[in-house]
Amino acid sequence: MGDANRYPELRKRLTPGWWTANRHYAMYMVREWTSLFVALYSLIFIYGLSLWAAGSRADFLNFLKNPAIVGFSLVALVFTMYHAATWFYLLGAISPVKIGRSKTKPWQALVLNLVLLVIISYVAIWLLVLR
Amino acid sequence: MRAETHKVARLHAILWGIFSLGGMIAAFLLPVLIYLTAIAYPFSLWPFNGAKDPSFLVTGHLLGALFVFVTIAGSLYHGIFRFQSVLTEVGLLKYRRALEAVGYFIIFVGIIILAYYLGTWYVNGTIR
Amino acid sequence: MSQDIATIRVTRYRPEKDSKPYFQEYKVPYRHDMVVLDALNYIKAEMDGSLTYRWSCRMGVCGSCGANIDGEPKLTCASFLHDFKGRTITVEPMSNFPVIKDLVVDMEDFMEKLVKIKPWIIREKETPPEQGEYKQSAQELERYSQFSSCINCMLCYAACPIYGLNEKFLGPAATALAYRYIEDSRDQGKDVRFPIVHEMEGVWECTLVGECSVVCPKGVDPMLAIQKTKILGATNALRSLLMPRGGHK
Repeated sequence: MGDANRYPELRKRLTPGWWTANRHYAMYMVREWTSLFVALYSLIFIYGLSLWAAGSRADFLNFLKNPAIVGFSLVALVFTMYHAATWFYLLGAISPVKIGRSKTKPWQALVLNLVLLVIISYVAIWLLVLR
Repeated sequence: MRAETHKVARLHAILWGIFSLGGMIAAFLLPVLIYLTAIAYPFSLWPFNGAKDPSFLVTGHLLGALFVFVTIAGSLYHGIFRFQSVLTEVGLLKYRRALEAVGYFIIFVGIIILAYYLGTWYVNGTIR
Repeated sequence: MSQDIATIRVTRYRPEKDSKPYFQEYKVPYRHDMVVLDALNYIKAEMDGSLTYRWSCRMGVCGSCGANIDGEPKLTCASFLHDFKGRTITVEPMSNFPVIKDLVVDMEDFMEKLVKIKPWIIREKETPPEQGEYKQSAQELERYSQFSSCINCMLCYAACPIYGLNEKFLGPAATALAYRYIEDSRDQGKDVRFPIVHEMEGVWECTLVGECSVVCPKGVDPMLAIQKTKILGATNALRSLLMPRGGHK
């Protein structure tokens, strides 16, 4: 065993661009970067409320109508939906449900939860806006 | 030293649990909020194709204010927690402690400010 | 009679001679049923005896022959040449491990982690053999059975970028093995294993890249084991927070 460490071992460090090596890694990175838009939208929303608190309700509403804010929010919505879809798929991968002899597949959890999302969204609008 | 690191790890376990909850919130509640503020209201689509506007979400009912709080606080927590992790994966691993500190600071300040606005509006009757 | 030829590009690293690794190309006769290991064995036997690599069972059960083939962590004995595009195949040592020579990587860190999680049944009190065997139902077996299929090939570590970025990460195989014992109804060692898997460089480093489960040749799904262990950690921490004196199991 004495000779084992005589010659240097080759150590390669992963570079910051490691995720470009294959499609799985790249899709993973896109999935994780949805978090930036989720966080930014939340911060921007709080900022909008601060305009209301410092000024009036109209300041908040004009802020929401600002084209830059609308543009960013639409992008944020796309990323949020991608977060939701990948999150539902992961839920399916982590918690398969046993039905008889077979187990549920992740894409089934994706579909089920997307339907649930639509239902919850409608209920939220009904409860909070329409009532 | 062992007991100390174990306490940190236990705290982290709980913080991770909250992050997971935030992920559920961001997946199930955030889309409709963005739809209401960025599509329905600016383009006068249902349900904001009449007299109501997004401020009604906050003031119309305590439930609405709670919905806004839970959705924004949960999404903010989840987003910052995860993004801080992403940054360590694209070359900033050695700044991990600093990133965590900044991240939790932003989360803390953001949630406090949000709770403050909604709280004062509830107290002074702006929220019914 | 012209023969079908495959070109194998192999990483060579001979620290006593070179300071840097380089690729060496070998042209081997191609047969449809050849695996990469066959090609390496042909090279070593007929062309270049200095080529160094690990292998043993040649049938996907020993876990010795892991390598990065065209960029993906695979077992050389389980990778048919015809599954790759074209007739040129690149074989490199598994990612994220220090390389000793050619395709041989240093396994020490992995071995330490396997031992660290105490991969054996831990009982509070051993019952003597005269009292009979521990009984386990089929359902109880199913809870951990897939995680016991690990052949320690380390492909999951080669695939995991988190391990590549942070060597301290406990990693997929070790956590899956720990989970195998945590879920075994005969095991009573949660108090011993939980602190290990739930430490900061335990499961919490994992961000669900999921590549470990993609490359596993035995269907172990370490990503699932890690997520389940995280959930156990979070519920455990919550329980100890809400019931400081209450026992946890």
